[in-house]
Amino acid sequence: MGEQKLFFEDVKEGDEGPARSHVLTRTDLVRYAGASGDYNPMHHDEVKAKAGGQPSVFGHGMFSMGLLGSAIEDYVGVANLTRYKVRFAKQTWPDEELTTKVQVTAKRTEGGQNLVDLDVRLVNGAGEEKLIGEATAALASKV
Amino acid sequence: MTERPDHTAELENLVGSAAGPPQLAPHAVNEAMIRHWVEAMGDTNAAYVSNEAAQALGLAGVIAPPTMLQAWIMRGLRATVEVEAARASGRPAGDTATDRMMTLLDDEGFTSVVATNCDQSYARPLVLGDRVVVSSVIEAVSSVKKTGLGTGRFITTRLDFAAVSAQTVGSDPDPTEIFGRGEPVATMRFRILKFAPAAVAQHKGAQTLVAESIPPALRPRPAITQDIAYFFEGARQHKLLIQRCAACGTLRHPPLPACGLCRSFAWDTIEASGRGEVFSFVVVHHPQVPGFEYPLPIGLIELEEGTRIVADLIGVEGSEVRVGMPVMVEFIEYDEELTLPAFRPRPEGAT
Repeated sequence: MGEQKLFFEDVKEGDEGPARSHVLTRTDLVRYAGASGDYNPMHHDEVKAKAGGQPSVFGHGMFSMGLLGSAIEDYVGVANLTRYKVRFAKQTWPDEELTTKVQVTAKRTEGGQNLVDLDVRLVNGAGEEKLIGEATAALASKV
Repeated sequence: MTERPDHTAELENLVGSAAGPPQLAPHAVNEAMIRHWVEAMGDTNAAYVSNEAAQALGLAGVIAPPTMLQAWIMRGLRATVEVEAARASGRPAGDTATDRMMTLLDDEGFTSVVATNCDQSYARPLVLGDRVVVSSVIEAVSSVKKTGLGTGRFITTRLDFAAVSAQTVGSDPDPTEIFGRGEPVATMRFRILKFAPAAVAQHKGAQTLVAESIPPALRPRPAITQDIAYFFEGARQHKLLIQRCAACGTLRHPPLPACGLCRSFAWDTIEASGRGEVFSFVVVHHPQVPGFEYPLPIGLIELEEGTRIVADLIGVEGSEVRVGMPVMVEFIEYDEELTLPAFRPRPEGAT
C-alpha cells in the first residue's frame, strides 16, 4: 500500500487534482535527455532538428508523460498508480506553458482494490492538448 | 502512386517475435539516477529522494517515479550513436527482430519515427536495489496507413519489466536467466508510427508544424455536436458505440437527442460487438473528393445489435460487395484527430 493521501471515500466523479504548470525550456530537454537516456538529437540539437524539417527542437513525449505523471502522483499519493496510458497528440515546443489536468471519471472496487479512474491531459496555453490519457490508482479506504 | 517496396508479409511474420533477447539494466535502481530524473522533471516529491520522507508516508524507503520505468533500461549515448550510424549507412544495426523490422520499414521508405501511444501498468513501485530486466515482444505491425504526418505503419511493442535484488546478479550476468527468475514489476506498450514524412513546408512558426506537414488530401472533418461526440470519441478508442435510451432501452443510430419510441431525453451507450452484415451499399465513382480513394465502396451495415450504420468498406473491391455479406468493424486512424470505423468482410461463422 502506498502513501495514504487521498481516501476512496473522499473522492467523487468530477473531482480534479491540483494542476501543475511548467514552461518548457531547452535546458529542460538537455537535462531530460541525460536523465532518461533518450539522446534523439531532435530533442536537443537545434541544427539537426531544423535540418530534419522541424522549426526547432521539441520535447520528448516521455518528458510530457512524466510531467503529467508527477501531477497524478501528487494527487493520488505516491506508489498508488496501477495504470497510466497516454496518446501523444501533439509535439511540445520550448517556451510553451504546459498545464496538467487530472479529473476523476469513475470509482470502482475490483479484486478487493478501491480503484479510481482518471482522465488525464496536458495542455498548452492556447488549450491545445499535447497528451490525452487515462490513469488508474488504488486508494486506501477509511473503513 | 509512387512505387515503394511492400514488406507486409515479412513484417507480419515478425509479429509475436521477441524484439530481441532480454536486456539487463546497466545499474540497479539508485538514488543518483532518480535525482537526475526528478530534477529534470521539476518533481519535488520527497518520496523519490529521501528515505526518511518516504518512510513518513508509510513506505519502506525511497521509490522510483513510475514513469521513469523506461529510463532504467536505456542503452546510453554511445550505443544510440552506433545504431544511428548503422541505419544511416543502410546496414541493420544488429540481428534482432527489431533490427530486421526497422530495416524493412526503412526500405519501405518509412524512415521517420514518432511515438504515438504509451501504456504502462505497474505491479509495484521500483525500489532502491532492484535490478531491472526487460523482455520485449513485437505485438503488432499495422497495414500501411495515411496519417497527418505522412504515410507509414504503426508498430506496437510490449515490454515486460521484471526485477531481482541487485545483490543476486553476478559479474557475468545472463539476462535471460535473470528475467526468468525476476518478479514482474511493470508492463509497457509503446506504439510508434514509422512514416515517410509528407513534403516539408516552410515553417512560419512552431505551432504550425503539424498543420503544414499535412498532405493536401486530408480526410474531411465531421461536424461534431454534443449529441454525437460520444461516437467519435469512442472511435478514437477503437470502440463502436451505439446510443441506448436510458428509459426504455431501445438502441438507436444515427444519434438523436430523444428516443423515438418513448420520447425520453436520457441516454447512454453500449459497445457493439463490431459484427454485422451489409444491408445495402453503393460504390462511389463520381464526384471524387480529395481524401478518398476511388472507386469507393460504402456500406449500410446492419449490426448484430440491430442498428444500422454507414461506413467505408475495406479489403473488398466494389464489384465483390454483396448484400448479406458478413463484415467486421476495423478502426482507421486517418490522422492525429480522426479515427473512423470501417467494415471488412469476415469469413462466414468467424468471430
